[in-house]
Amino acid sequence: MELATFGAILGFALDLEEQRASFYEASAQGDVPALFEELTRGARKRLARLERTRREGVAEMILEPISGLLADQYQPDVTPSGDQAGLLQQAIALEETVLRFYRQAADKMPVREVARTFSRFAEETERHLQDLQAHQS
Amino acid sequence: MESRSDETLDVTNPATAEVIARVPLSTAEEVAEAVNAAKEAFTTWRETPPYTRARYMFRLKNAMEEQFEELARSVVLEHGKIIDEARGEVRRAIENVEVACGIPTLMMGYNMEDAAAEIDEECWLQPLGVFCCVAPFNFPAMVPFWFMPYAVTCGDTYVVKPSEVCPISQNLLFELFDEIDMPPGVVNLVNGDKRAVDALLEHPDLRGLSFVGSTAVGRQLYAKAAANGKRAQIQAGAKNCLVVMPDAVLDSTVAAIMTSAFGTAGQRCLAGSLVLAVGEVYEPLRDKLVTVASKIKVGDGMDESVQMGPVASKKALSRVLSYIEKGLAEGATLLLDGRTTKVEGCPNGYFVGPTILDKVTPQMTVARDEIFGPVLGIIRVEDLAEAVEIINGSMYGNAASIFTTNGKWGREFKYRVKAGNLGINIGIAAPIASFPFSGMKDSFFGDLHGQGLDGIQFFTDRKVVISRWF
Repeated sequence: MELATFGAILGFALDLEEQRASFYEASAQGDVPALFEELTRGARKRLARLERTRREGVAEMILEPISGLLADQYQPDVTPSGDQAGLLQQAIALEETVLRFYRQAADKMPVREVARTFSRFAEETERHLQDLQAHQS
Repeated sequence: MESRSDETLDVTNPATAEVIARVPLSTAEEVAEAVNAAKEAFTTWRETPPYTRARYMFRLKNAMEEQFEELARSVVLEHGKIIDEARGEVRRAIENVEVACGIPTLMMGYNMEDAAAEIDEECWLQPLGVFCCVAPFNFPAMVPFWFMPYAVTCGDTYVVKPSEVCPISQNLLFELFDEIDMPPGVVNLVNGDKRAVDALLEHPDLRGLSFVGSTAVGRQLYAKAAANGKRAQIQAGAKNCLVVMPDAVLDSTVAAIMTSAFGTAGQRCLAGSLVLAVGEVYEPLRDKLVTVASKIKVGDGMDESVQMGPVASKKALSRVLSYIEKGLAEGATLLLDGRTTKVEGCPNGYFVGPTILDKVTPQMTVARDEIFGPVLGIIRVEDLAEAVEIINGSMYGNAASIFTTNGKWGREFKYRVKAGNLGINIGIAAPIASFPFSGMKDSFFGDLHGQGLDGIQFFTDRKVVISRWF
């Protein structure tokens, strides 16, 4: 499905963060609970930021169609499975998907403030990836 | 308070045709009670310091932010527009509240020492009393907020009569006034139809009216307001042209035209409903408009992926369909036919898809009348001068836009066109809250428009004090 409207993109981002939060919450066990708990909190904060962005970023003057962003390309596996190593691997794959989504959505989004929020989320996600990879090694 | 009226109207969800509420039609007696309550509240409200009045607006803004999604969803349910458009509408309502928060500065008067020998002169802005708004169905949450926040922060008191077709969001917004502890009588809501409007305009204590709606009704209300000695700002109908020059950036231009012509299913007074294609741009523009418009996803506005909702009522649907028929009968050709649009899961909805008529001439009914639906006509013109002549030949003067990369054409356009809201590479020339929502010719009756400083002027009197001390 193409994410062709402002609301569809923001709605998808909200769903993605909801899934992230649930995944990390359910996976916070073993040696990496602190990091996973931090990522859960981060996802919850993002939800609030995205809600605010959706409220404040919409402007009827620029509700022009957006093209080229396909929801199917950003569907991470968010059902926790396997041991700790497996969960870490799953988290890395999840963050890679999220990173790709925010980068591409920032490029497509015509509303500058919203694009900036997405870019900031992408930068944060890059740091999360580094943290997860550090735990993996 | 509950209406005592035993007359009600059904409010339907245009996407499903289901009845979602029943609105009482307030009696003349109830309208008088609302104006009387506003008059009584005025005495103390006008003495309330502007800083305090502004604080109510800060609270209102916060309450609206908290209820943002609920408000937007209520607009979708009652009107049918898509959720993003509804969010944009609620946002603009909030922006007007934000501008009105600046009232301690906005309503400062001015003065001059030594206007004559040892004489000083000052000008105060003072509130007048009770004002009202008669709102249309197409922006049910936003339109009263073009006026009410300014009136109330200026120290006036207010009565809103929302559209009887879409009254829900305004009723929800009035619940927020209770939440923020607005003093009783400062803002009041009456539901109803023409009889309620007549009762408002005939009430001796009403000082002024803000109206948004059709030119035919607006003209009558303007005359009636004048006859009854009331101020009036009447924002009326429109027929807005979008001029596309041969050097326009085609992809961006077409995207802007899509939202202008088909956003809110064409039911806005800023909708571009005629494309004036200049010279050789005609063919590529026509083809691209059809290609892009045919991909617009029509459906229930609650679905985030939908790009265009239904029209607001069965009556509106019949009206739009009859205009398409009329266009064809008068010689236009149909490039894209929205009459056959069906939406899965919404068999009874008032849907008409994006429709594009070609070979339209300025004399045709579809080029002269406000259709208020997702119907875009294309007229081929030779040059900018011909385009301007067509725009200026219209009885309306609400909005017009030009798409070009040439600054000289842009300047020529903004200098010559007789319309109140102009766009240069903008599809919907909607003034933000601190600017007046303009309009000319039969698109506006009055002197001072809604929003911004015009609002402050409309809702205040100027008192000049000349003083000398012996």
